[in-house]
Amino acid sequence: MFTTPKLTAKSTNPNFNRLAIALFVTIFLLFATLLNIPVAQASPQTQTGTPTPQATPTFDLQRLEKPVLDSTNTQQLKEGSLIYWGVCMACHGDRGQGLTEEWKGAFGKEDQNCWNVGCHGYDHPPQGFFIPKDKAMPAVAGMGSLTRFQNAQELHDFILANMPWWDPGKLTDEKTWQVTSYILSLKKVMPSKFELSATNASAIRTQDAVPPPANDRPAIFVLLGILTLAGVGMIAQELQRGQIRLPERPNFFHHLHPPTIPVLQARFRYTLGAGGLAILLCLVLLVTGILEMFYYIPTPEHAGVSVEVITSLVPFGGLIRNLHFWAAQALMIVASIHLLRIFLTGAYARHRRLNYLIGLGMLVLILLLDFTGYVLRWDEGIRWALVVGTNLLKTIPWVGGSLYQLAIGGPEPSHSTLERFYTWHIFVLTMGLIVLGGWHIFRVRRDGGVAVPPPHLRKDNNRISRFDLVRREMLIMGIAGLLLILIAILFPAPIERPITQASVDLHNARAPWFFLWVQQLLKLGNPFLWGVLTPVLLLVALAAIPYILPQTHESELGQWFPRGNRLAQILLIVIAVTIIILTILAILPTTQL
Amino acid sequence: MKNLSRRDFLKLSTNSLLALAGLLGLGNILRFLSYQYDPVPPSEFEIGPATDYPQNSHKVLAHIPAIVIHDQKGLRAMSLTCTHLGCTVEQRNFGFECPCHSSRYDINGKILKGPANTDLKKLRVVKSEDGQLHLFMT
Repeated sequence: MFTTPKLTAKSTNPNFNRLAIALFVTIFLLFATLLNIPVAQASPQTQTGTPTPQATPTFDLQRLEKPVLDSTNTQQLKEGSLIYWGVCMACHGDRGQGLTEEWKGAFGKEDQNCWNVGCHGYDHPPQGFFIPKDKAMPAVAGMGSLTRFQNAQELHDFILANMPWWDPGKLTDEKTWQVTSYILSLKKVMPSKFELSATNASAIRTQDAVPPPANDRPAIFVLLGILTLAGVGMIAQELQRGQIRLPERPNFFHHLHPPTIPVLQARFRYTLGAGGLAILLCLVLLVTGILEMFYYIPTPEHAGVSVEVITSLVPFGGLIRNLHFWAAQALMIVASIHLLRIFLTGAYARHRRLNYLIGLGMLVLILLLDFTGYVLRWDEGIRWALVVGTNLLKTIPWVGGSLYQLAIGGPEPSHSTLERFYTWHIFVLTMGLIVLGGWHIFRVRRDGGVAVPPPHLRKDNNRISRFDLVRREMLIMGIAGLLLILIAILFPAPIERPITQASVDLHNARAPWFFLWVQQLLKLGNPFLWGVLTPVLLLVALAAIPYILPQTHESELGQWFPRGNRLAQILLIVIAVTIIILTILAILPTTQL
Repeated sequence: MKNLSRRDFLKLSTNSLLALAGLLGLGNILRFLSYQYDPVPPSEFEIGPATDYPQNSHKVLAHIPAIVIHDQKGLRAMSLTCTHLGCTVEQRNFGFECPCHSSRYDINGKILKGPANTDLKKLRVVKSEDGQLHLFMT
């Protein structure tokens, strides 16, 4: 039996605490540094400073001068104003009014009649050109202009393909974005301090101004600073506990744990904390996922745009989406590490085999959740993954056709497909994971906790209380949570332009990273054999290993690389290495043949 | 609070920091949820040429919803949104009735029976130079 002082002595492992403090301080310092990085995001000011329109004189060379935008504007807008001035202004007007009589009046006398005689002909340097008499020179700003374009992306695509009309294609993609930005600011629909790009332009409408994006960075850093301070406070409390401890009453979280567990079960270097981290990540995914649902619209016309709105315009939207993305990727990795740990410690032996199977089922659900979530972006990045992934179903003999229809809800990927993937992602698979997860955790308790030898075979029979256990869990989760937020701030989740009718050339269409190994296998030939049968057989083999290959002896439990299940360990390492090699091969460029 | 031990002080400050973080987090979520991407509804409608509204006629514009009346007093328009809780009123022989809570208005939009207690809103109609009518909601 244990006594309280003994427990406290265990709880203040100096190395553990020192490590934790060091981590917290490092993260805090990182935040502090980040605070000083100038953030290239908008402050909630209203409108860009377009050059102040002059009164309307009849002969005014001032209006023909280079526009000068002040430093509150983005570089993109400033460059755009120069391009507009040099290329577009002659026909579309200094205020985007088009080729009106009033605008012609601003030109020099000798230029005003050129439209009739073509004196902007090819001999009129530089870049002289004819203005076609039969073509209208439309206004690009003001009422009724740009109505044929819904958003900045469409306007950009049109300019890129058709402008300037005497030399289409003259503008590069980057320059086109600059001039698009300037035109939209003439039309007063361009949010201030907003850099247009292919990954946010679909969210910028041409007819109504969108509310400007808020600068949410300071709020994020303040919140993180407070959380980090609270973390430091928790560590300090830990250090204060010393020898005497007041009796504590267990709270809700304590009650989720057994009163005491063997210390052997609580060693981080044995469990790697993978199970607990997976729970944390699932909670993050649940909360951020629900928040995303407030803005996400599961229709082909709106899905990609709504993702851009969340990412670029909604306050904290980018952070929430990045958190969701990175938590999902981390969950995939943590779950894989968990599986590896179970194998390399032989923990799936005997009565734990059922829970192993449940865990394997959860891994499959996580893969499906990751894939369906990936497809919900509905942008150019997912197009071929969706086509390939669902076409693979077709290759299955007998049931392939029905499975395909079941998955995509029609003869080809369409709005039904998106609706189905949405329902699978946010409801069916999520519920499945919650149910299996609850069962998995219950089975861990029922099976006697993390696998260790029975009491009479243990080298160390000390136990730690749930108070210490919960504190450790909080500490690890706190550190992991802060790291996750840091990653979410520093590395944005991938996004591409929304899928439109006209397909865009992709330099390399890659599967999502967790399916890269399957993509590489598919290059070998028969899609059913390599894309369906091989992964399924692999899964069957994984499920069968505990029932076929020799298991660990119970005295060997609770340690890495026991002798009993060597064969299974070797097999799993071979599988893992193969998958990693295939993944690397898929990433390597293939064009250099 | 004189005998606040170091331990208690730490606990108190940590918990207050956590509570503060929670409050800020909630505030941030409110900011997240309050972003409005959808465009505001128009305050002005083009409702076609004046010749579409001859003398002694009335025309319901269901998409606004509004009614344009052209009688002896001239051209005028009225919102068909009930001033009680916003349902669209329906035409009856006495004028208009709200299908939701049975507020009644006469032909001119004057309130006859509650629960609504103000008349239907009068809207401004303006004829532009090219003969098009414009309806202003405000």
